[in-house]
Amino acid sequence: MADNLKVVVADDDEDIRSLIVIAVRKANLTLMADLPDGSSALEAVREHKPDLVLLDVSMPGLNGLEVTSAIRADPELAKAMVFILSAAVDDTAVAAGFAAGADAYMTKPFSPNTLAAQLTALIASTASGPTADVPQPPTQ
Amino acid sequence: MNAVSALVRRYIFIENPSPLVRQLPTVIIFTGAVLLVLLLPDLDFSDPTAAAAGVGGMVLATLLAVTFSVYTPTTRVAIIIPFIDLFAIGFFRMGTGGVTSLFGGMIILAVVWIANQPRRRYIVFAGIATSIALTLPYTIGGTPAQNSTDWLRGVITPIVFACAAAVINEMSRQASGRVQAIHELAEERDVMLRGAVDYAERLSENEDRLRAADRLTRSVLDAVTEQSVIGTDVTGLIDVWNPGAEKMLGLRAVQTQGRRFVHEFHVADELLARSAELNYPPGETVLNPGFSALVETARLGTPEVRQWTYMRADGTSLSVEVAVTRRVDEHGSTVGYIFVATDVTHALEVSRLKDEFVGLISHELRTPLSSILGYLELLRDDEEHPLSDEQVQYLGVAERNAHRLLRLVGDLLFTAQVGSSTFSLDTTVLEIAPIINASVESATPTAGNAGVALSASLPDEPLYVLGDAQRLGQACDNIISNAIKFTPRGGSVTITVAVDGSAVVITITDTGMGIPEEELDQLFARFFRASTATRAAVPGVGLGLSITKAIIAAHHGELDVESEVGVGTSFILRLPLTTPAAVPAS
Repeated sequence: MADNLKVVVADDDEDIRSLIVIAVRKANLTLMADLPDGSSALEAVREHKPDLVLLDVSMPGLNGLEVTSAIRADPELAKAMVFILSAAVDDTAVAAGFAAGADAYMTKPFSPNTLAAQLTALIASTASGPTADVPQPPTQ
Repeated sequence: MNAVSALVRRYIFIENPSPLVRQLPTVIIFTGAVLLVLLLPDLDFSDPTAAAAGVGGMVLATLLAVTFSVYTPTTRVAIIIPFIDLFAIGFFRMGTGGVTSLFGGMIILAVVWIANQPRRRYIVFAGIATSIALTLPYTIGGTPAQNSTDWLRGVITPIVFACAAAVINEMSRQASGRVQAIHELAEERDVMLRGAVDYAERLSENEDRLRAADRLTRSVLDAVTEQSVIGTDVTGLIDVWNPGAEKMLGLRAVQTQGRRFVHEFHVADELLARSAELNYPPGETVLNPGFSALVETARLGTPEVRQWTYMRADGTSLSVEVAVTRRVDEHGSTVGYIFVATDVTHALEVSRLKDEFVGLISHELRTPLSSILGYLELLRDDEEHPLSDEQVQYLGVAERNAHRLLRLVGDLLFTAQVGSSTFSLDTTVLEIAPIINASVESATPTAGNAGVALSASLPDEPLYVLGDAQRLGQACDNIISNAIKFTPRGGSVTITVAVDGSAVVITITDTGMGIPEEELDQLFARFFRASTATRAAVPGVGLGLSITKAIIAAHHGELDVESEVGVGTSFILRLPLTTPAAVPAS
């Protein structure tokens, strides 16, 4: 089932973006687009209506939090889960991510294997029902 | 006062004229009598010897009067002068015709002097002396009394003089009493005047001191140009407005003192929010809730420093830190408040820039580290192209150093958060043993590689603290990893946990190189490294202990150290004990 799930990735650092893409593939998800800025990421999300969006926070154009808010404000994108990957590690930044509507927040640096496992768990928990516990990623 | 003194001197002069002044009338009259006898042919000296004795007596009396007046003008002995006068006049009378002499009446001048004395016995003395003087012609003049009329002349005339003396004496006494009373009144008035003058002088001095104190206060207030100092009465009406306030808020003192209330310069929403914090009843039940919110803490006697926003006269706003203190009178009652405000716009901007910088550095360092660590992991886990043992070893070195750099970035970020007081704790009730065990477990591989024996001794019963598990774990990790790092191969690191009163005490003791005593005070300072660590080339930047200290302090705990160079070091960590039912603090 997981390989039918569509994913959009956005991170302004090309190396990190490639690393995320590798993790997405390890989790057997279908990558629809990987983009270097928030504006094009939002366009891709509106175009592909993905199941999962992986976003960096600090990006040119719209930042990750603004993209998240825009996704949450659009009823057509309601099913999309948002997974934020950010170098901002303080509690305020994490709280801001969840306040914007993110489903999960992982701080950089991250292990690609761990990210793949977290993505798999997130998809599984969501598929098992709306009341299922969403695993919280470690902060480090 | 001078008029009164002159009056008093005048009465004193009248009451106590000098002997010479008293003698002058007698001398003048007596001299006139002598001249009359010498000049008028119808008059002559019937007894030149007696007349000469009289003149001699008068000269003697006058000389005495001069002497007493010069040296002892108030002496009572001067009373002998009128008696000498009496006898001088008596002899002169005897020498110029005796009982028929024209000059017997001069005796009255001496009698008046004697009668003017305060005591009544002088009336008798005057009478006796007059009688003796008038009977001199009979007693020693060689012209005995011819009949009883002559003797009676020596008695009746003295009695008449004595009566006159009595009247004069009484009048003198009464006059003297009145003068004395006036004198006393004048003295009293003088004393009162002196008191009034002294009081006026003291008032003047106090006024000068008050003026000096006022000038000093004004000078101090005027010197404060970078802070606003605003004073109010208990209702908030402004009565002090210094140049700093003029500069900060754009209004002059005359525009605000007695005309404006201090809370008019605050943002209304902030005052309302503070009122809500203080649970003020809404509406009119609290008199002037905006001002009450400003001074609530100070009103209870505790000075308060709080950030507010001032509104300037031109409508712009200004972030300020305001210290509010109570003004009291001499009885300790509140009579107003003082508001000292400092512009913190620049400080807030610096703080914001610092936060931005730290965030930027954190992001910019963590992003490449993410790539390094991520791709190293991919390389190590690539099952299609397995690495040789040597390559895995090289990869391990790279990973270890990347993680070391990551920890350093984390420490720098946390240090910056501590410095700006922005780090927070996720506080829950925690059992301490799992935290210690996790730290020991995490440090065991490192200790094994370093050849250091690591052991922990925990109590059987569970001990609870109120804290952030991650931060407390970080604190324990820091101290245990430090202990291992500074202990040579073959040494040991021991962790004990015990209860001391209301605290749990975690002691981490190593048998390492130790820290010189003179460096212990600086041990928890940021970027400080002990000389023993530097000499032994132990890696590190000196942030771990300052972070650990901050974490423990944020948990209301204490971190102490005991050390001896060459023997080892003990870090003693105290945290307040709690119970499982304790409500987590916000």
